[in-house]
Amino acid sequence: MAILTVENVRKSFGGVNAVNGVSLALESGRIYGLIGPNGSGKTTLFNCITGLERLDGGRVTLRQERIDRLKPSAIARRGVGRTFQVIRVFPELTALENLLVVTRGPRAEAERRGREMLRFVKLEPLADEYAGNLSYGQQKLVEFVRVLMTDPALILLDEPAAGVNRTLLNDLLAAVARLRDEGRTILLVEHDMKVVMGLCETVFVLDHGDKIAEGPPGVIQADERVIEAYFGR
Amino acid sequence: MSGRRALVAAALAVVALALVAYPAIGTGYGVRATLQVFMWIALAGSWNLISGLTGYVSFGHVAFFGVGAYTGAILVATAGWPWPLAALAGGLAAIVLAVLIGYPCLRLKGPYFAIAMLGLNEVLRALVSYFEGLTGGGNGLSLPTADTTRSVYYLMGLLAMAVTAGTYLIVTSRFGLRLMTIREDEVAAEAMGIDAFHHKLAAFLLSAAGPGIAGALMARDQGYIEPISVFPLAITVTMIVMVLFGGKGTVWGPVVGAVALFVIQELVWARYPYVHPLLFGAIIVAVVLLMPRGVLGLLQTRYRLPRTI
Repeated sequence: MAILTVENVRKSFGGVNAVNGVSLALESGRIYGLIGPNGSGKTTLFNCITGLERLDGGRVTLRQERIDRLKPSAIARRGVGRTFQVIRVFPELTALENLLVVTRGPRAEAERRGREMLRFVKLEPLADEYAGNLSYGQQKLVEFVRVLMTDPALILLDEPAAGVNRTLLNDLLAAVARLRDEGRTILLVEHDMKVVMGLCETVFVLDHGDKIAEGPPGVIQADERVIEAYFGR
Repeated sequence: MSGRRALVAAALAVVALALVAYPAIGTGYGVRATLQVFMWIALAGSWNLISGLTGYVSFGHVAFFGVGAYTGAILVATAGWPWPLAALAGGLAAIVLAVLIGYPCLRLKGPYFAIAMLGLNEVLRALVSYFEGLTGGGNGLSLPTADTTRSVYYLMGLLAMAVTAGTYLIVTSRFGLRLMTIREDEVAAEAMGIDAFHHKLAAFLLSAAGPGIAGALMARDQGYIEPISVFPLAITVTMIVMVLFGGKGTVWGPVVGAVALFVIQELVWARYPYVHPLLFGAIIVAVVLLMPRGVLGLLQTRYRLPRTI
């Protein structure tokens, strides 16, 4: 059964149709890729799913509950976590505090879990450092584990590989696969095709706001419309 | 308790004891000046709760002071309430006003919220002037004569302490951290499941209570209030400057700002009465240009001091 269903979602800005009647369904425990050239509507679709953009049409359903009229915080609390294309850590909070703010329950337990998460991405020595003082890649990792602290059922990752060094990237990708094994669903936007093709089980392709293809990575790579969208005729 | 924390606690206890004993040994001017400092600590600390922590700059916070002052004064003058109870009612009235204003205004972002709050203050001043049957209008409202300076001194001191202690508890809690995430990046905070609106509303209510009580206490102390004395924009500007100077979003910044600027103001006022308005303008410009995080904010980042300063 689908955990998330996007039906005929439309979103435009002025005269630009950023997302033009896109539909897709995500099942639990799978990794999906969302690719497309720059400006194809990937991030806008993320924003529509997470409530940061109001839909012009269509509907988004999470576990059979319509969520497209909810506030972003309400959607997040229902189990949808996300990262951003441009990192959005809280710079004047420490790395650990960035994780604590999303937790509930006893603080000591939250701190223990936060430090464990930071250890997982090899940032525990920097737990008390202001997030704004961390490098780009380190901030990216803080943002990633902050999402995990919310214990989401569906995780939307916007370019998780960008700016992360190869060793950490391998750890991060292994973590994503492990999250899938735990039954979580992952939808990731990524320009690194090696990452997408190696990790994702199903790939959606957007171009100028339209979904032009959907299928396993091998099929997508050979799809004429996808090749045309990326390289032109 | 670590050695450093014990030292800080001991120092605070000594200061508190000295302030408790002060009315018995101090001059009338000294007691009244200290009472004023307490009031500014309470006002600046309260403004810091909403504007320093969430980044929503309120240009109309004096409205809560004014509403508290009129509520307290009316209850004492016309209903014969005991003034300490009327002071609490002043805080409650300010909270009620904050609910009514917060619901629509806290949905506004940045400068729009600031302008809305500025407008609120002007509207309230006009309303108080208009309903002269209840408020005395432009003629003001007199309270029954009573020598309450010493009692008001202690209650205002308690209020200043409560606001500062409350700020400490908030800053060290996850609620406080969530307020800061709104200041840092409200969109990201929402996306992480933090209900920004209700967090802002809670901070707004908390930040209204102190000025409401302070207004009612000042009304009792001065014995007479009028619209221009309890709704002046200058009070809001002064609390903003105090917080900016001391360090917004910190626990002790409003205290440092209130004490330092009050002392400077008194010194300049006494010697150069016409220059003193210029002083605040100069301080705003200097703080914004040279230390936008204020004295304690600067020390916090430079010397990696804890968030609890």
